[in-house]
Amino acid sequence: MPKTKTKKSFLKKKSSDVEIKIKVSVENRKKIKKPKVAIISLTSCEGCQFALLDLGQKFLDFASSVEMVDFRLIEDEEDEEKTKLDLVLVEGNPVTKGNVKTLMRARKRSNLLVALGNCAAMGGVPEIKNYQERSNTIKHVYKYIQGVSNLDIKEIDNFVKVDFVFPGCPINSEEFLKYMPELLKNKIPTISDQPVCVECKKKGNRCLLLDKKPCFGPMILGGCDAVCPSSKMMCQGCRGLRPGGNIQAMRATLKNMMTDEEFENVSEIYGLRDDIEEKSVKMI
Amino acid sequence: MQIKINHIAKMEGHAGFMASVLQGDVKSSKIEVQEGIRLIEGVLIGRHFKDMPVVAQRICGICPVVHNLTSIKSIENALGVQVSEETKKLREIMELGQIIHSHALHLFFLSLADFFDIENDLKLVEKYPEMAKKAMRIREYGMEIIKVIGGRVIHPLNNEVGGFKKIPNADALKKIVFSSKEVLEEAMVLGNFFKKIKLPDFSRETEYVSLSKSGKYAIYDGDIISNQGLHIPVLNFENNFQELQKQKEVIKRVEHNGKSYMIGAIARINLNRNKLRPEAHKYLESLKWKFPNYNPFNNILAQMTEVIHAIEESSYLIRQVLHCNLENSLTKSYETKEGSGAAAVEAPRGTLYYHTEIDAKGYIKNVNIITPTAQFLSNLEEDIAEYIPRIIKLKGKDRERKMRAFIRAYDPCISCAVH
Repeated sequence: MPKTKTKKSFLKKKSSDVEIKIKVSVENRKKIKKPKVAIISLTSCEGCQFALLDLGQKFLDFASSVEMVDFRLIEDEEDEEKTKLDLVLVEGNPVTKGNVKTLMRARKRSNLLVALGNCAAMGGVPEIKNYQERSNTIKHVYKYIQGVSNLDIKEIDNFVKVDFVFPGCPINSEEFLKYMPELLKNKIPTISDQPVCVECKKKGNRCLLLDKKPCFGPMILGGCDAVCPSSKMMCQGCRGLRPGGNIQAMRATLKNMMTDEEFENVSEIYGLRDDIEEKSVKMI
Repeated sequence: MQIKINHIAKMEGHAGFMASVLQGDVKSSKIEVQEGIRLIEGVLIGRHFKDMPVVAQRICGICPVVHNLTSIKSIENALGVQVSEETKKLREIMELGQIIHSHALHLFFLSLADFFDIENDLKLVEKYPEMAKKAMRIREYGMEIIKVIGGRVIHPLNNEVGGFKKIPNADALKKIVFSSKEVLEEAMVLGNFFKKIKLPDFSRETEYVSLSKSGKYAIYDGDIISNQGLHIPVLNFENNFQELQKQKEVIKRVEHNGKSYMIGAIARINLNRNKLRPEAHKYLESLKWKFPNYNPFNNILAQMTEVIHAIEESSYLIRQVLHCNLENSLTKSYETKEGSGAAAVEAPRGTLYYHTEIDAKGYIKNVNIITPTAQFLSNLEEDIAEYIPRIIKLKGKDRERKMRAFIRAYDPCISCAVH
């Protein structure tokens, strides 16, 4: 019996020690300023913001580890856009003049500006409009077009400096959690230059190209867990070209699987076509 | 007097609100859209129909499943493609998952704080941690369904014209069934919590419209009915409902016989409540509503009822599917030909309608997409116009808060409405 008693008191002492430690660390944390973060959305489906919300508790933990200055999907509090930010995440395209202003103001007030997803980074599905006869696209949809803002779709880096891109349509939320700590320390992470194929192989998928079915995997930046080919769907390139991707080799491989027109059409879906054209010109 | 809200947060897409009141009379009441146009219908023209579900679902990040399914159904109707019963069931289960996670998000994270005068969800979660956990658990259940059957929650991958590219993993489906009992219990607790909220007493008569099917709470298919005697096949939708664009407006409003009407959870509950699953039925009974129920705030409790129903129904349908041959859901070959097809599916916010015309080579000639929010927008504005005189004497900020709560109870999706 006495033995147990000593053990108990020993435990008690220990736990009070722990308590003190916790108190100290809480006080320390109070002293350390939380980074100020905003998530803003231009014109988009808002799927990348929902990808964050869908993280559930993990997102709430992230949100309480920073000072969330502006995230209109979860808060009503008006932010006057005056607070200086450490980091702003931007989703969507600047399609209206209001969107452009919001984007410019975001850049001015923030130390880092990060593109959240395919629309902000590459133009997304709305960019298909740029490859059509422009004046016609809107006429298919609206009878009265006067006074309706119909700017060309441009990636946000045409307006402001972009420090980092979370690629994908939608973003991979696990990748978000992986790179945010670095960004919050004011460091710019690098997504390693490997094709979608690396993860695809790891998952044990049979390569679509081997079955003579088209896939953009080899020239596209991995990090998506090869989610499309795992569903037997070709990679259509929503994460963009990888730095070491060889477009000519890719086209040569696809020659017998799809026509040039089909290649172009698929590359339009996520705004990849202009990037391919730009890179091809550089190579010449 | 002008009443203006610059930007309504906690809502899908960007919009504000403006009303002008003259000596107590509301002269105008208008949702001011700040969303840019993406011209999704326009960009689809000239593309192959196989791109359509991929592009169209990107209209909306919260309800991509229903855009995906409705576009696929409209193409299948244009081509005359028949799909297996297994395919239909799996699609319906996905849509139930969609309704569960979208409603749970709206109920807890977008609307609830309005009735406690809390302006930030992080504070709401701090105040009601247990309820927040339940709401998240329910959302996860809905999301898991979409992930297992569709391959991904946001912008699913497995569905296509003719069926599925890949069959869902049976063990993963069994796990969902297994978890449904506990999730249903959580939903009942959350439901009881929502019952205690004091919703404003306001009502204005309107026409309720939704899909309807015999013997079933219609979600994936059915005819279009209303509480004013309308009963038409989906094919006749555009002959009965008029889509109109006003100058300088980017949302095309929809009228029925020159009047506004209401769709979504409150409309479906009013029209199809007798077909709810047992627990959902019991929950609805416990609310002691008189029907027809014309209080738009009750859309919140109607959504809660649907969450309970959708958990029960999804579990029931998955058990059925597990007894079928899942291989039958794989895409079968079909012929590409010229045609025109219409389709409708119940989205979380109401009936979503697609009409697609395809040429002989499979390229899209024309598309019309009529979203739920575009359909109920005028009804919302007319409701607020009648609501404003009751709150006109409140202080500016309190009045604004009441109006935001009203607008959010409708659960509008401006991204969908503009597309």
